[in-house]
Amino acid sequence: MSDIIKVDKVWKEYMMGDVLFQALKDINILVKEGELSAIVGPSGSGKSTLMHIIGLLDKPTRGKVFIQGKDISTFTDNKISTLRNEFVGFVFQQFNLINKLTILENIMLPSIYARRKLNYDPKEKALYLIKRFGLVGKENSYPNKISGGQQQRVAIARALIMNPKLILADEPTGNLDSKSGNEILKLLKELNHKEKMTVIIVTHDQLVAKETKRIIQIRDGEVVA
Amino acid sequence: MRYLSFIFKSAFLDFSRNKGRTILTSLGILIGVLSVVLLMALGLGLKKYISNQFDSLGANLIYVMPGNEKAMTSGAGMMGGIKFDDKDVLRVKRIEGCEVVAPVFAKPGIEMEANGNSETGELIASTDEINIVMNLQLEEGRLLEHRDNDKRAKTIVISPKIAEKLFDNQRNALGKTITIEGQNFKVIGIYKSKGGGGLGGSDMDSHVFVSNAAAYVFNTEKKYFAIYAKAESKDLIDRVKKDIKTSLLKRYDEKQFSVVDQAEIMGTINQIFNVLNTVLVAIAAISLVVGGIGIMNIMYVTVSERIREIGIRRALGAQSKDILYQFLIESVLLSIFGGIFGLGLAYGIVYLLQSLFPAYIDLISIILSLGVSSVIGIVFGVFPAKKAADLSPIDAIRYE
Ligand SMILES: Nc1ncnc2c1ncn2[C@@H]1O[C@H](COP(=O)(O)OP(=O)(O)OP(=O)(O)O)[C@@H](O)[C@H]1O
Ligand SMILES: [Mg+2]
Repeated sequence: MSDIIKVDKVWKEYMMGDVLFQALKDINILVKEGELSAIVGPSGSGKSTLMHIIGLLDKPTRGKVFIQGKDISTFTDNKISTLRNEFVGFVFQQFNLINKLTILENIMLPSIYARRKLNYDPKEKALYLIKRFGLVGKENSYPNKISGGQQQRVAIARALIMNPKLILADEPTGNLDSKSGNEILKLLKELNHKEKMTVIIVTHDQLVAKETKRIIQIRDGEVVA
Repeated sequence: MRYLSFIFKSAFLDFSRNKGRTILTSLGILIGVLSVVLLMALGLGLKKYISNQFDSLGANLIYVMPGNEKAMTSGAGMMGGIKFDDKDVLRVKRIEGCEVVAPVFAKPGIEMEANGNSETGELIASTDEINIVMNLQLEEGRLLEHRDNDKRAKTIVISPKIAEKLFDNQRNALGKTITIEGQNFKVIGIYKSKGGGGLGGSDMDSHVFVSNAAAYVFNTEKKYFAIYAKAESKDLIDRVKKDIKTSLLKRYDEKQFSVVDQAEIMGTINQIFNVLNTVLVAIAAISLVVGGIGIMNIMYVTVSERIREIGIRRALGAQSKDILYQFLIESVLLSIFGGIFGLGLAYGIVYLLQSLFPAYIDLISIILSLGVSSVIGIVFGVFPAKKAADLSPIDAIRYE
């Protein structure tokens, strides 16, 4: 299988006043298409920072990110936005739904930013995902009116609406009770298993990580295993 | 389509969540548009009123007046300066193409008494040709005739308004006597109302007409403040004007008198009006700018309240221009709301004012006010929208 993501000697540095803080130090990772992996490490180790760089939300201070062999540093901001839209589906710990939009609208939101004509009807697809994730009847509810587990399922549906190749989940179970958390994990595993999506789950929970085939350990901004 | 409907929906949801803020912000634009549209409407109405008054006079008129043209239109020339006499009137009469010539003596601010009532007005003394020049139409009795002048008859033609004020009703007035500064005049006729008035300007219905001969008691010099003439046709106006000028230049120098036609007077009045109106509208437009600044302020607040939302949208693939449009559309909507309500209110006020004051809103005012409010929405919305669009996706989504 081909490499879908290549993180090549990536450094991320912040200036904290006069002090240089290195959040990521010389990270090198290869992710193959269809892989299910976990990024684990203690709080503050740089997991989210790495995920944001892989998900094209952030740029490395040094080093390069290749998506399907293409060097992202040569892309314009518009092209990167479009790639985020089509290629990546994000799932966040805090769900990050837009509260004034309904569940259906939240799920459809990425499709309004599509730059090319979709060969399917996003509304139909959204309704299908609502059914599949057990959200029937909540289409016109608002995010703050449903449970955390349901909100995270909405977020996953939203991540899937554009048929992305890559799903990035940052502590997707972090704000959920263990039962809802397990359901979400099951869903993510299913996406990898049945739909051959590449899934990366960021977590500090070793139990969650055990469910994946590959574990990337980071500590203090460095990959340790 | 879906894209726009999402953006609009998002804007409206935001407005409805912040109703008070939305209304207050639009209010700035509302007041601006209201004052601009109202001033334009009043200006237009006034202009139309004046040109209507001119139209109610006869056509192809030429005025010979003291003073140079500039002074004439400002009214200064009518005071002081030269007065015309019968020799001048003869000179004008001799000019070919000059159909009617009416020498005019006027005495403003006269007190008329009859029946124990009194009323102020303006005495106009002339020949019977004034009927043509001022386009007087008969309502009751008769207008001035040649014989009134010949016989030095103390006869007077008044307006329906004055008849009603002095004699309670028009019919009663005929044959009755009006006293003006100790002189008695017999009412022989009532001319049809010219309308208008009530504007502080000259009210055509306050005019009363007597023959020149009858007015010699007030006009002891037997001189006239103006000569009104009428050209036989429109094409002759310029030539007749030139000939009058040439002829009068033999007695007076160029600065002492002027010969103008209606179009020229109208042109000058319009010019003065346009300047005045532009200045007033420009002052009112300042409130539009203030309203625009209000919108800019609120949009900055809105942007900083929604940084997280901006981050989410960027994470989902919105380009920075999508964010720019989103906020720009919101500010334009805010501004247009204000514009529409301002226009509506202006309509209401103009409607109520109509009976007291000539005012009307033309299509240009509508297009201009809506256009200007959209432009204000864009101009003052673009800075906050740009700020939103320029946020880095990662900073926005990590924003607490
Ligand atoms: N914009 C920033 N400016 C300065 N420091 C930052 C910035 N973003 C992240 N950091 C720092 O980088 C380090 C890594 O942050 P990151 O969010 O990647 O950690 P994490 O592994 O995801 O932790 P957690 O498990 O708590 O989410 C932290 O020490 C954080 O304070
Ligand atoms: Mg994190």
